[in-house]
Amino acid sequence: MGTERSAENAGMLDAAPCGLVQTTEAGEILWANLTFCKWVGYAREALITKVRFQDLLTMGGRIFHQTHWAPLLQIQGSISEVKLEFVHRDKTRIPMVLNAIRHDAEGRVVIEIAAFVAWDRDKYEKELVLSRKRLEELVQETAKLHANAKDRALFAEQMVGIVSHDLRNPLAAIANSASMIQRGELSVSQQRSVERINRAIDRAKWLIFDLLDFTQARLGQGLSVTTGELDLHEVIAESVNELIFIYPGRRLEHFRVGDGRCVADGNRLTQLVGNLVSNAMTYGSHDTPVLVTSEVGADTFSVEVQNQGPPIPEEIKATLFEPMTRGTGATSSGRSVGLGLFIVREIARAQGGQVSVISTLEQGTAFRATFPRAAPKS
Amino acid sequence: MNRLARHYTWPVSVQKRNNVQVSGEGSTTMLFAHGFGCDQNMWRLLAPAYEKRYRTVRFDLVGSGNSDLSAYDRKKYASLDGYADDVVEIVREFGQGPTIFVGHSVSGMIGALANLKAPECFAAQIMLSPSPCYINDGDYVGGFTRADIDSLLETLEGNYLGWSSNMAPVIMGAAQQPELSVELTNSFCRTDPEIAAQFARVTFLTDVRSEIAKLGMPTLIIQCSDDLIAPMTVGQYLHKVLPHSTLSVVENVGHCPHLSAPSSSAAAIDSFLASEHL
Repeated sequence: MGTERSAENAGMLDAAPCGLVQTTEAGEILWANLTFCKWVGYAREALITKVRFQDLLTMGGRIFHQTHWAPLLQIQGSISEVKLEFVHRDKTRIPMVLNAIRHDAEGRVVIEIAAFVAWDRDKYEKELVLSRKRLEELVQETAKLHANAKDRALFAEQMVGIVSHDLRNPLAAIANSASMIQRGELSVSQQRSVERINRAIDRAKWLIFDLLDFTQARLGQGLSVTTGELDLHEVIAESVNELIFIYPGRRLEHFRVGDGRCVADGNRLTQLVGNLVSNAMTYGSHDTPVLVTSEVGADTFSVEVQNQGPPIPEEIKATLFEPMTRGTGATSSGRSVGLGLFIVREIARAQGGQVSVISTLEQGTAFRATFPRAAPKS
Repeated sequence: MNRLARHYTWPVSVQKRNNVQVSGEGSTTMLFAHGFGCDQNMWRLLAPAYEKRYRTVRFDLVGSGNSDLSAYDRKKYASLDGYADDVVEIVREFGQGPTIFVGHSVSGMIGALANLKAPECFAAQIMLSPSPCYINDGDYVGGFTRADIDSLLETLEGNYLGWSSNMAPVIMGAAQQPELSVELTNSFCRTDPEIAAQFARVTFLTDVRSEIAKLGMPTLIIQCSDDLIAPMTVGQYLHKVLPHSTLSVVENVGHCPHLSAPSSSAAAIDSFLASEHL
């Protein structure tokens, strides 16, 4: 589009299916075709030399014109596909996509602009923007829900810790009173009642210890351990002897491999064996023995508890060591609330060890906790 | 530290973060900071003239141009303070001798805040088309209403869709100016849409009027005669509240005198520098 137009060319440009505008560097309109004039609702005479191109834009468009359009034209000499909204004389907004070229002929700068009304593109884009916003809101909401759930879970875990801690005092009072009663003259049925009370106290005590360990492992720095030099075989043998009394009528056998010296927390090992044997007794077959093997190798030592019986169902294998996981077929007589294996794993971890499990129909189920022989002192 | 470790230093260097470019020689440093919208290429008609006498340092604000987008931290850049901290770091690393801060538009205020944080780093301030507050407030005429700024955000949104995730350049270069490399053309004025929207909000909703009143540094205010973004009233306001300021009005329509009126801008800067013996 030259500055000198034949009447015929001007007529063609006037009827062109896009808006055409020429402005000075500052934006003053030098010429506009009829299509553009019609789109913005002004007579050509009302635009030429009377209005700046940017004054036809919305305020946002004017700022964009100043901060992006003008410097870009200056530096690059052209821009394309910029979408700005024009304000029609009747105040309605008309979105247009714009291309522009800057001509600098001997110091006289002319900017030529082609404009296309873009209603549909505008509508579509606005829908896209809206759906992106909605998506962002959803993501935020989800994150908030997630954080809330985490907070609630944490609160619940803290509550468990507090309650189990505080339950120890009333329980101790009951235990003391039971032993006082036991010192007196008791009938056979009274004697039986007291024994039942004592067994119930023991179960409750184990539950509380498990819960305290659970909260310590989850909310604190992990389970506390106090390691020292000890003979693994002796510690495990002692535990096994105690456990035999807890499971009358069941067989529990202990095997030793290697010499027994290692560095570990004896009390925690007793707890670990207790939990594993309890599981073996609960879930294993009742007519085959539960085997406990303590083994000390060159660099590691391990404790393994094996039972025969149906294997661990596939669907709970993945979460076996997570708290609140219980096997099928567990009865209310089991002392655990589903913390046994979680605590076993935490005991192993606290001493730099790990727990593995093999469970098949043919070989039964074997849990093995393996530790470095010289555990780091905590 | 061995060479490999140096190579993998993290966080990214100030140079990489802000795409700092140093040229020119001199015992005094001129630091050029671009404004909202584009990047350091905005200085191409003004800065080179000073390379003969000054060490000139140009950079991109984080989020603009070829800055390291991974360094963009929404919290840090939620106010101009984050940008001002960057400026102080740039001066400390790249400034030699007295440093003259030259900031366009919002960077005038970023420079002022940097100056207040570390006055020992600066000798003088030059602000082109500055504004401490774009929104009208009582007797103060910033030029805009809150609705205007929302309208800008909407316009930005409309112009970022094409760029969206792959940041393809919507605004393309012309073959008419072949000296511009493709890389430059593509990066110029292009930003991540989210960053651009936040930067627009931070820029146009900012009000640092109370802070800058404490600015004691010699300051040149270059005010365009006809500027939509920073109208004459704003330049006059700044001149009134800044105790050591010089107001220089440049005949220019628009917001970028360094591009559309580079020689008048340079003349104003030269006379200010001469009067400050810099």
